[in-house]
Amino acid sequence: MSERAGRTLVLALGNDLLGDDGVGLEAARQVAGQVDATVDVVETGEAGLALLEMLEGYARALLIDSVVTGRYPPGTILEFSPDDFRRVVAPSPHYAGLPEVLEMARRLELDFPYEIRILAMEVLNPYEFLLGFSEPVHENLPRFVQRALQILGEWRCENSPLVIPPR
Amino acid sequence: MDESIQTVWNEAQARANEQYYTQRRRITVDPITRLEGHGKIDIFLNEQGDVERAYFQVPELRGFEVFSLGRPAEDMPQITSRICGVCPTAHHMAGTKALDDLYRVEPPSPARKIRELVYNLFMLEDHALHVYVLGGPDFIVGPDAPPETRNVLGVIQTVGLDIGKRVISTRRRLRESIAYLGGKVVHPVLGLPGGVAKGIAPEDLPQFQEVAQAGLEFALFTLQVFKDVVLKNPAYMDLITSDIYTHRTYYMGLVDDKNRVNFYDGKIRVVSPEGKEYAKFAVQAYLDYIAEHVEPWSYVKFCYLKGVGWKGFMDGAESGIYSVAPLARLNASEGMATPEAQKAYEEFFKTFGQKPVHHTLANHWARVIEMVYAAERIVELVNDPEITSTNLRVIPTVSPTVGVGVVEAPRGTLFHHYETDEDGILRKVNLIVATQNNSARMAMSVEKAAKGLIHGGEVSDALLNKVEMAFRAYDPCHACATHSLPGQMPLVLSVYNASGKLVHQQKR
Repeated sequence: MSERAGRTLVLALGNDLLGDDGVGLEAARQVAGQVDATVDVVETGEAGLALLEMLEGYARALLIDSVVTGRYPPGTILEFSPDDFRRVVAPSPHYAGLPEVLEMARRLELDFPYEIRILAMEVLNPYEFLLGFSEPVHENLPRFVQRALQILGEWRCENSPLVIPPR
Repeated sequence: MDESIQTVWNEAQARANEQYYTQRRRITVDPITRLEGHGKIDIFLNEQGDVERAYFQVPELRGFEVFSLGRPAEDMPQITSRICGVCPTAHHMAGTKALDDLYRVEPPSPARKIRELVYNLFMLEDHALHVYVLGGPDFIVGPDAPPETRNVLGVIQTVGLDIGKRVISTRRRLRESIAYLGGKVVHPVLGLPGGVAKGIAPEDLPQFQEVAQAGLEFALFTLQVFKDVVLKNPAYMDLITSDIYTHRTYYMGLVDDKNRVNFYDGKIRVVSPEGKEYAKFAVQAYLDYIAEHVEPWSYVKFCYLKGVGWKGFMDGAESGIYSVAPLARLNASEGMATPEAQKAYEEFFKTFGQKPVHHTLANHWARVIEMVYAAERIVELVNDPEITSTNLRVIPTVSPTVGVGVVEAPRGTLFHHYETDEDGILRKVNLIVATQNNSARMAMSVEKAAKGLIHGGEVSDALLNKVEMAFRAYDPCHACATHSLPGQMPLVLSVYNASGKLVHQQKR
């Protein structure tokens, strides 16, 4: 785990065989080309305990995902902190277990990110096998990527450089 | 991805869905409403406040078969493993075995052993997850415990922090071993028709042997925890053996040539509710034995034994309903192929004093016994002289037509069936996932538990949890059909009174 010390993780959740469900993965791929070597970008279709293993050892983590809250128009970009999921019934199946994972890490005294943020896009239909995104998701993808970079940029200002400035 | 191909697939997808919805609309019964990515239990009470009917429904990811058509069959082990993040290794292995069959090619013995090793590592890891995290809290913390403690944190509270740490570290090491051979756990790239892509380098073998030993100790320890916490508690044993959690059905599982449980390969054996062998067949004949029944209220098809027939949701030898998963595997076999697991197997049947065991909640115990078997089998395989061999592949030479593969997924028998043209392009795909095999019995279990537990309109969290326990014992992963999380599938439980009004609802 020591190779993760002090580093930042961008963890994308989703399945790109399921249309909009893969929007986090696509955003992460775009983010990956624009960050420096202190950031690891990881894609996964797993959740629950697997998140524990993925997050362990990092200083900070940004999770990128799709959600279906049904309360916002598709394409809306939402931000959560892990605490939000203590109150909200998981709007995405990917998060079920995240509060437990964090609590478990705390009780087991694992080395865990001191800051975790979740960036998610409201999507239309993550339950059918489709390739490509729905119109509103496609349209808002650049903003989604920008917001992720912005968060990473804010973190950079607080310590070492994370985002390579655009040429 | 070429955009025009994408368009064609998506259009085909849309047509398939439209057809599906049209068929469904014709038969949909009120008041079951649409599923929105979560499981549902709908309980309907009568005038007396007793349960008239209870329905357990799961959402389904639609269109996978259409999605696969036109692709090369070789892609299936990778694509199917991405259906979900829950049992990727099971899909990967069933897909790989279907390709062996499609190309009529037998992997060399070392390749077969590597596959079996990876598969048992996966079974051990997955079962451990259920025991400690998903299903375990029902017993380790207790079925009546408040919901906020009935989770993995409550388990750690009960068994201690050190054990919590051990669960996490053992699981991580098992997963690292799988990743060594198969790449990412979620997207394994191990299996090829006729073999595997990677073996174990002799210099890396000691680390596998170390993990294997740790895994075995962990499995035996888990068996002890189960005995201490569950078997020594008479109230739990009463619950496990109570009638509301009991169904007398057929049982199915893969067995080796001595009728012992095998997860990776063998023949499919089915025993009757009386424990007599009803059928034993090679997977290629599965369609002669298994048929699917459609109910208007569920997206999931209900599998049954063709020869016995669909007689509705009922128990007994006259009804074709069968069950898969750990309890079914133990029931459908005549023993375990490793010594400690065999001991545990004998104790299991002796304790219940019957075979088959019909108590759904006994699945939890059966699962722990299977952990012991998987762990012992891993130790055997990493000490096998062939395991570091580089003879890992037989190259296929014949033209493909039809291939069928089967494995025992943690949640039960998993079938992959592919048909292709002579270039190996898919023309037909059929998957029967474990939860589909179990769906009829699971529906009965939920209804019977609801009827047995809810009386006079009284519903409480503890009662409803006991209803949920009826399906949790099966470790229902509808994720081949949904992308929900293992066991933490969002679930909405609703209770309606005799006039159809919603009187209670809870979401998890």
